[in-house]
Amino acid sequence: MKRFLFVVSLWLPLLCLSYSASAETFTCLACHSAMKGNIRTEKGALINVNVDGDQYAASVHGGFDCIMCHKQFGSNPHEPAKLVDVPKNIADLASKLSHKAKVDPIALAACVECHDAVYQSVLESVHGKNVVEKKESDGAMCVDCHGSPHYIQKKLSPASHINKKNIIKTCGECHEKEELAKKYNFSTEILEKYKESFHGKKYTLGHANAPTCVDCHSYHDIKKWDDPKSPVAMANRTTTCGKCHKGATPKFVAAITHKPYGPIPYWFEKGLIVLLLGVFTFIVGHVILEAFAEIRDKVLNKGKEGHDE
Amino acid sequence: MNNEIPKEYMRFNVTERIQHVFMLVTFLLLTFSGWALKYPEIEHSKGLISIFGGPRNAGIVHRIAGIGMLLDFAWHCAYLAYALATGKMKLRMDTTIIPLPKDVVDAVKNILYFLGLSKTRPEFGRFSYIHKFDYWAVFWGMGIIGLSGLFLAFPVQSSYVFPMWSVNWIWEVISIMHSDEALLAIVFILFWHFYNEHLRWDKFPMSMTWITGKITIEQMKHEHPLEYKLEFGDKKGVDK
Repeated sequence: MKRFLFVVSLWLPLLCLSYSASAETFTCLACHSAMKGNIRTEKGALINVNVDGDQYAASVHGGFDCIMCHKQFGSNPHEPAKLVDVPKNIADLASKLSHKAKVDPIALAACVECHDAVYQSVLESVHGKNVVEKKESDGAMCVDCHGSPHYIQKKLSPASHINKKNIIKTCGECHEKEELAKKYNFSTEILEKYKESFHGKKYTLGHANAPTCVDCHSYHDIKKWDDPKSPVAMANRTTTCGKCHKGATPKFVAAITHKPYGPIPYWFEKGLIVLLLGVFTFIVGHVILEAFAEIRDKVLNKGKEGHDE
Repeated sequence: MNNEIPKEYMRFNVTERIQHVFMLVTFLLLTFSGWALKYPEIEHSKGLISIFGGPRNAGIVHRIAGIGMLLDFAWHCAYLAYALATGKMKLRMDTTIIPLPKDVVDAVKNILYFLGLSKTRPEFGRFSYIHKFDYWAVFWGMGIIGLSGLFLAFPVQSSYVFPMWSVNWIWEVISIMHSDEALLAIVFILFWHFYNEHLRWDKFPMSMTWITGKITIEQMKHEHPLEYKLEFGDKKGVDK
């Protein structure tokens, strides 16, 4: 029996390998999981080329060979890249993304190989067009929301950047940044107002049904609100809100604006605060005065209390 | 027997006491299930919510308690209307809970007494200005928090009745109303009600009237002299 177990255990490492990554990946990781600091590319950018092997193996893509995405490094990875090895559609896409990817545009484009439909809808989205058509480098692509491609987790894992627990923070990475808000003409108050709303407060408390950004605005194919294809375009709002609020009408959907208070709620709140402070002052003052008067009467004057009789 | 003054006076009948218990229970449920939604980012909010078994359950408890409180309020109003219509309850200056100019005078006199600027306390009827404030605060709360709470509990149906020109700000106003006034109600109960019915020298740890409905004659003479005179003024009894 012992002998049998020993023989079986000899095979265990191989079993693990088949579930995580190939021998070739281990060859790369031999160096690329032990590198400290950054290196400078030919273009002058500082990049980090280290990968945490354990985290990589535990990610959803942990079984992949490095060259499945880093396609241009098929032969000797440290020779100049050979684009001949790269399929044309990926090479074309990579050329559109070259300004976006500091390290390896081919790898950023390689997602399309498996996630074609999703990738196409991202390219059509307000985020995708911003990168591909407007040639901006700070707009969101795959890794900006999903996190480092080496460590992507399943959506249901709490470690996933797009898990419900983290999605607001992930959107906030850009949508709470003042400089991006100025550049792209959106408001950081949108997220702030969301967090103050009933939806946002329920989300913060961990309500399973509380809607997040993506429940109303969609995600891969996200469009600006004035695009008729956006789920929050005026014409689509009754349908979008109706997913949870059956019978939603245009009058109902006007409730959510993510805008700061208009003059009526603003002054209404100020008025209520004045009322609150007024009542607090009166009741707290009254209680404290009465308590002192009682101490005076009962303790110091030993129960000699005045009375109209 | 009729000419003797009893040792105790029945201040609140059993119906009124049950109404108070309903109010008390629903108020506490609403406070504890709703507080976290006002301050969700504070860590103890999650603890409060977990008492109810998560935000979803807390929401259900909050809605049921809210409707329970509104029903209690409706019951009280119907009870008052019935009692007044059948003559079981009569409106009198010295027993009514309706605020009168005398209450303002009483309040000023009382505060002067607290400050030591007056040697005598004002004489109260069945309800002092302190009681009246406590009582009408509930009406204010029912109108403001109860109504806005109903709108928030049934948002789609409520939106049908709001006029088009109000839809851009009405929900913000309703949310502010509900949450700010709820805070007011909680602080009010904590200070006003707790001090006057629990912490006072002669009531600590609490007045038992809410259970027995009775107060002693001594207490009545002391706290409600005008009502005492009305009820027993022409009688002689155990009065010392």
